[in-house]
Amino acid sequence: MDSQGTRGTLEELMASVIEGRADPACVALVRALGAGTEAEAVLQGALIPAMDEVGQRYEAGEYFLPEMMVAAQAMKACMEILRPALARRMVRAAGRVVLGTVQGDLHDIGKTLVGMMLEGAGFEVVDLGVDVSPRRFVEAAREADADLLGMSALISTTMPTMGVVMDELRRAGLREQLKVLVGGAPVTPTFAAQIGADGYAPDAASASRRAREIVRRREGQ
Amino acid sequence: MPMTSRQRIHLALSHREADRVPLDLGGTVLTSIHRQSYHRLRQHMALPPSPDVPLMDLYQQIVVVEDDLLQAWGADVRFVGPGLPEPPRVEQCDDATQITDEWGISWRMPTDRGLYYDMARHPLAGATAAEEIARHTWPDPLHPARFAEMRARARHAVEQEGRAVVLGGFCSGVVEMTAWLRGYDRFYPDCIQNTALLGRLMDRIVELKAAYWERALDEVGPHVDVVQEADDLAGQFRMLISPATYRTLCKPRHRELLEFIRSRTSAKVFFHSCGAIRPIIPDLIEMGVDILNPIQVSATGMDPAELKREFGADLVFWGGGVDTQQILGSGTEQQVRDEVRRRIADLAPNGGFVFATVHNIQSNVPPQNLVAMWEAFQELGVYPQ
Repeated sequence: MDSQGTRGTLEELMASVIEGRADPACVALVRALGAGTEAEAVLQGALIPAMDEVGQRYEAGEYFLPEMMVAAQAMKACMEILRPALARRMVRAAGRVVLGTVQGDLHDIGKTLVGMMLEGAGFEVVDLGVDVSPRRFVEAAREADADLLGMSALISTTMPTMGVVMDELRRAGLREQLKVLVGGAPVTPTFAAQIGADGYAPDAASASRRAREIVRRREGQ
Repeated sequence: MPMTSRQRIHLALSHREADRVPLDLGGTVLTSIHRQSYHRLRQHMALPPSPDVPLMDLYQQIVVVEDDLLQAWGADVRFVGPGLPEPPRVEQCDDATQITDEWGISWRMPTDRGLYYDMARHPLAGATAAEEIARHTWPDPLHPARFAEMRARARHAVEQEGRAVVLGGFCSGVVEMTAWLRGYDRFYPDCIQNTALLGRLMDRIVELKAAYWERALDEVGPHVDVVQEADDLAGQFRMLISPATYRTLCKPRHRELLEFIRSRTSAKVFFHSCGAIRPIIPDLIEMGVDILNPIQVSATGMDPAELKREFGADLVFWGGGVDTQQILGSGTEQQVRDEVRRRIADLAPNGGFVFATVHNIQSNVPPQNLVAMWEAFQELGVYPQ
């Protein structure tokens, strides 16, 4: 395939992901790889820009949860094809994220969406699920050697647990090694600052943007 | 003769000023109080302890507010809702209590520090065809247990207590129930990829709801002032689905249900929808919603003064009296008083306002803040005579 053909295929891939059409996205992806395009070039040249565009459309109020979720699903389907090729070429993820909803809180959807968007932005995501105890957050962050810890809470009564997790991170000596991002309906930037988190995001699209801003890949690891 | 609660509510619902703004505590499953805060409030007010107070809603752990407190506070509304055919199936798992409801949806509350039940299993998550919807074991909306004491309770509230009656619905909203049966991770993509299946599910729920309303409205006869429906469609900052998706997929079902209810009663239609729902308020008005609950004052675009200006001629606002996310639970007594003052100033003029907290009073609310709210309401909720 000539470079114009490659560009055309990548554009098609990007458009399919943005529109949440997984099958045509995968077909375009396989075609691009078959024509010799490097896996990392596909990731950087089509998939990450596609999810950036999805995030922008969400923030602009053009996209809502359905549009964002089908796009994230298309992205995920592509990543499953691409991941072995990326691993072979030792391409590193943008960072490793440990994610969960805090203890006492079983709200799942917002946190899961954040996970999907972070994967779409090239992060490796360890999703601990809901009702995650402070100890479990700390253990998982240590095990995964996480760059970022993401916490979610949907109710004002469970939100203070985020502060407990921060204390546990400090006590375990992990606080300096990772960044913390918090979100969820009752959470505010002021609250995030109070508990000493590094960032706050009001929704999944800005969470992935914020994550990239605050995580600087640790070199040599 | 002093005005009865029912007269007060009727004036407010006709956009007229009564002697004072009507007050609702526990008159709906959205304006009640979590059992923990309820017990603390009773203690603080030196009311006798009531450890066995029944729960109005098991999942939200909110109580049926007892008469002594309703009287002490002068609450104007009485809730009459359906009974359950049988208690939900409760199981004790390792780290949580799990309940399976009559729809086949499972809910879990963490054993350690759990405050609420949240969904854990969605019975129609795997459904791909209309036949699976037909085959699902649906609850019987006409089960006699639902209507067991309905007539007597509504009549008592109106005739003996002089209170206004809110008649509660059969289940949560059409869209919500659909999402719960499917699971949110399937529901949202379905809104684009599987609209036919979603439509079938919503139609089935509308059918069940209509059957319930027909019977329930027959039961209560004239002893009902407000019928309560709901659907949650928005988050803190915006709609969850686009207004366009709402209009093509959900609104036709809402319209069908609300038209059915309005053809069977002259009671006012109360519609709960929290979060940032401003883009679809005109749609709700167009479908005949009379009362909007709650005005989630902390959500984007939900400034009470603006909403009153824009929609106050068409809509009664029920709730929005005090923010329950930040102020009531973690604000100072002074902040609570200031908030009550501001909301009453914005919403009370020309009637069309029933004072209630934005959502159920959560488990973390200090009784001092509740008393501050009530005292400020007493002082400021009076209309000039």
